[in-house]
Amino acid sequence: MNLPGHQRSLAAALAIARRDLLEFVRDRRTLVITLLLPMATYPILALSTALGLRTASQELEARAAPSSMHVGLSGPDAERLASLMKRTLADTPPSGRSGWPANLEIADVRAADVESLLDQGAITLWIETHAGLVRELESTGTVRLKARVSATRPAGPAVREQFEAFIRTLGRDVARERVQSAGLPATLLEPVRIAFEGDRGPAPTASHNVFSTLAGGVLVLLTVLTLTGAFYPAIDAIAGEKERGTIETLLIAPCRIDDIVWGKFFGVFAITLATLVANVVSIAATAAVSLRYLPRGMVATLPDGSVAAAIVATVLAFVGMAALAAATCLAVTTASKSGKEAQNTLTPVILLVSAVAGTVLLPGMRGGPLLAAVPFAGQIVVARAALGTGTTAPASAWTIMASLLMSLASSAVVTWLLLRLTAGTLADEDVLFRGPDVAGSPLHRPAPRQRPNVVQALVPLVAGFAGLWYVQGLVPSDLRWAIPIQQGVAVLAPLALVLWWQRVDLRGTFAWRRPARGGWVAAVLVGAALVGAGLFLLGAAALLAVRSAGISEEARHLSARLVSLIQAQPWWLAWLLVAVLPAICEELLFRGWVLAGLLGRRRSPGRARVAVGIQAAAFAVFHLLPERMPQTFALGLVLGTLVVVTRSLLPAIVCHLAHNSMPLVVLWLAGDVPGLAAAVEGGTPASSAGLPGWVVAAAAASTAIGIALLAAATRLNGNNRERPS
Amino acid sequence: MIEVIDLVKHYHAADGGIVRAVNGVSFVVQAGEMVGLLGANGAGKTSTLRMLATLLKPTAGTARVAGCDVRHDPVGVRQRLGYVSATTGVPDRLTPREIFMSFGRLHGIPPADLPGRAESLLEQLDLRRCADRPAGRLSSGQRQRVSLGRALVHDPPALVLDEPTNALDVVGARDLLVLLGELRGAGHAILLSTHRLHEIETRCDRFVIIHDGSVVAAGTRQGLVAEWIPGREAELEDAFFAAIAGRSAAPGSGG
Repeated sequence: MNLPGHQRSLAAALAIARRDLLEFVRDRRTLVITLLLPMATYPILALSTALGLRTASQELEARAAPSSMHVGLSGPDAERLASLMKRTLADTPPSGRSGWPANLEIADVRAADVESLLDQGAITLWIETHAGLVRELESTGTVRLKARVSATRPAGPAVREQFEAFIRTLGRDVARERVQSAGLPATLLEPVRIAFEGDRGPAPTASHNVFSTLAGGVLVLLTVLTLTGAFYPAIDAIAGEKERGTIETLLIAPCRIDDIVWGKFFGVFAITLATLVANVVSIAATAAVSLRYLPRGMVATLPDGSVAAAIVATVLAFVGMAALAAATCLAVTTASKSGKEAQNTLTPVILLVSAVAGTVLLPGMRGGPLLAAVPFAGQIVVARAALGTGTTAPASAWTIMASLLMSLASSAVVTWLLLRLTAGTLADEDVLFRGPDVAGSPLHRPAPRQRPNVVQALVPLVAGFAGLWYVQGLVPSDLRWAIPIQQGVAVLAPLALVLWWQRVDLRGTFAWRRPARGGWVAAVLVGAALVGAGLFLLGAAALLAVRSAGISEEARHLSARLVSLIQAQPWWLAWLLVAVLPAICEELLFRGWVLAGLLGRRRSPGRARVAVGIQAAAFAVFHLLPERMPQTFALGLVLGTLVVVTRSLLPAIVCHLAHNSMPLVVLWLAGDVPGLAAAVEGGTPASSAGLPGWVVAAAAASTAIGIALLAAATRLNGNNRERPS
Repeated sequence: MIEVIDLVKHYHAADGGIVRAVNGVSFVVQAGEMVGLLGANGAGKTSTLRMLATLLKPTAGTARVAGCDVRHDPVGVRQRLGYVSATTGVPDRLTPREIFMSFGRLHGIPPADLPGRAESLLEQLDLRRCADRPAGRLSSGQRQRVSLGRALVHDPPALVLDEPTNALDVVGARDLLVLLGELRGAGHAILLSTHRLHEIETRCDRFVIIHDGSVVAAGTRQGLVAEWIPGREAELEDAFFAAIAGRSAAPGSGG
């Protein structure tokens, strides 16, 4: 058939998907994981949850259930205390008897009979009064009563709590009398009273609302099971084909590697969607059945009319997650040469992703469209926005829609990137025919003069993040020590470790060379410096412009500490700590090691763009503070592009150095130029004005001139290279 | 039909060195011809065949299948080549009929023609009785025939087989070679590699012997024996050993 290229690609992908699906549905293991596991999991979960809640609830109810109580009084003031207690019993209306025993009998007993009466159960507790007790009650002190219970028939918590509730009421009555006898108004005892009013009426109440916990747990479980749905099909799709020796038959089919990967993806995605549907059906059926078994008041119901919309938004978000799960599982398992190896690789990834999904349930984690873009967590954010959390109502329709769109867009982009990675891995001859044991294992110590591969490139990043996490509580607050320790633990130590282990060609990996010959070196370096300086000021201007959106306390605190460091220390020490050290260390890690590994041996423009984007994202995340991430991401893009274009790390170091040196320059000029100090302080409450317009214009001009210089130098350098010698 | 021109393939070794798996191999297989590619383990046979099948990219040199260059038109090569790898390469959970249908779809055969094409392959390869049985339950010989049918589904003019008789018993190997002989008779250009020289000695038209990545001898059985074991009756195996040893056996000096 002579079809146009894209139709031929689609037809090939669909043919592969159809073939794979036929294989999947004949695999009992896949069917069990896809359909039976969710069908069994939710009912079991619901039953155990309902059972646990019911037991807990019954215990609570038993405590709260009014009981019958006989109180024995002895001693000189027994009669008068009994009279007081009976008066409280008679005067308190039913609405004020919350927590009281159902029936309270008061009797005068002889002290000698108390033991036997308690042991026989004739009285529940006994109070011995002393002379002057009632007089003490009428004065201003606190009268201490001692209630005795039987040693052989101990009173349960319900008896104690209910009698305490009664005594609290008696105490309030006595207090009211004391106030009256002192000639003071009764309102003295109730200085404030509040009543709730509003258009939407009273908020849904549930005495022990577990909706949030239940819904959060179910959503994380849904994430894990959706991933599990992709687990075996993805392993079977590529690693399994390698193990069976059938992958070559696909690779010699008249289609592109991309078509094969898309075909594999469609197959795994279809199974994952089926898993999702089975999950949703199971959840719905289980909820319909099990909610009626939950004790009353345990689950707040959604407002009428929002249930369908919430379910649609949740399911749509999870369709995006199904695509993401299929692509993730394929990307992770493509390098494996057997099903077992693929399982070993994929299992920790599933656990890691589940942990990421669970982070959105942490107390204090706020939702919103930005968080909805986080893979595997954003879908839960959308669902919680649509469903509400039990104590809060569902978000507005616009917020839900924006979160859903952000989540779907993020899923689509990440899925596409993962499939590109899968195609690249599948086409890698080393991985395909010799297996990762030789070519791709991160623990394999490669020969000298090799560059890191993608996995090896990411190892120091993971180690660096772990270092950042573990030392954050140990680092001193003094930045003179904190900066070198953080750079050492998070950047230099992981980098030194992988360098020792991998024994790479330093010059090739770190692009350790001059950018160009002749006088153009200066042009490249000056251009890089101008771009770095301009970027800092533009970033600061943008930060000040959106300052009203709110800057976290952590960001303000860090800015204040940086300003103090720069003002208190000699300029050379501040410059070394703020600019030189980070510029060299971070460039070696991100634009040296990580970018070299992501670029690989066979560079293509597409791969270079993806590599620059990934390292920039990692660079932004490495700086931890969300407010700084847009600026650090943009800086990472510029620095990565500089290395790719000039094939040298030096311009990137100069650009980074210029960028980080700007706080010192700005503070030096701050006395003369109003508003500049605010740029460094990062939006402290005191700084209300933005950057002066001419500073922004100068920053833009600096960036533009720098880019023009770099472009001219690179073009001329390219021409010189092409010219025959 | 199949032209291999100065084909070179180098791998990066784990110790940082370069492994020269194929080092300037050239030969031709004409239409209606069956050529045996002989060599010891590691001689470069599989790498050569994988480059022909576009599974590996040549480091240098090139190859053409029915006029299509493996470097510049890999999809065109795949449309004109049937490849059977050393592993049987048959999905266990699919039946022979389903395998032929699915690869027919991948090769763009119109849906209306697919059942007929699958049926004719089942007939040709004597797989009718097990046409609807999962391939995992077939015998080695049947699986190898399914693999061959999968390679033939788009009726390619050229066939490349990497050690196709490895997993077969004597009967299965003979049946397969008879089948290949019929395909040669139908005008297909066939290139197959094997260690089992006695099986193909009388069935191939010519032989190409490679050793350490280079062609050390090529020709008909008689030609190779005459060149490497001059002056006496000998078998292809004797000529093969002499060729990879790089010396002609002197007349009367024994095997």
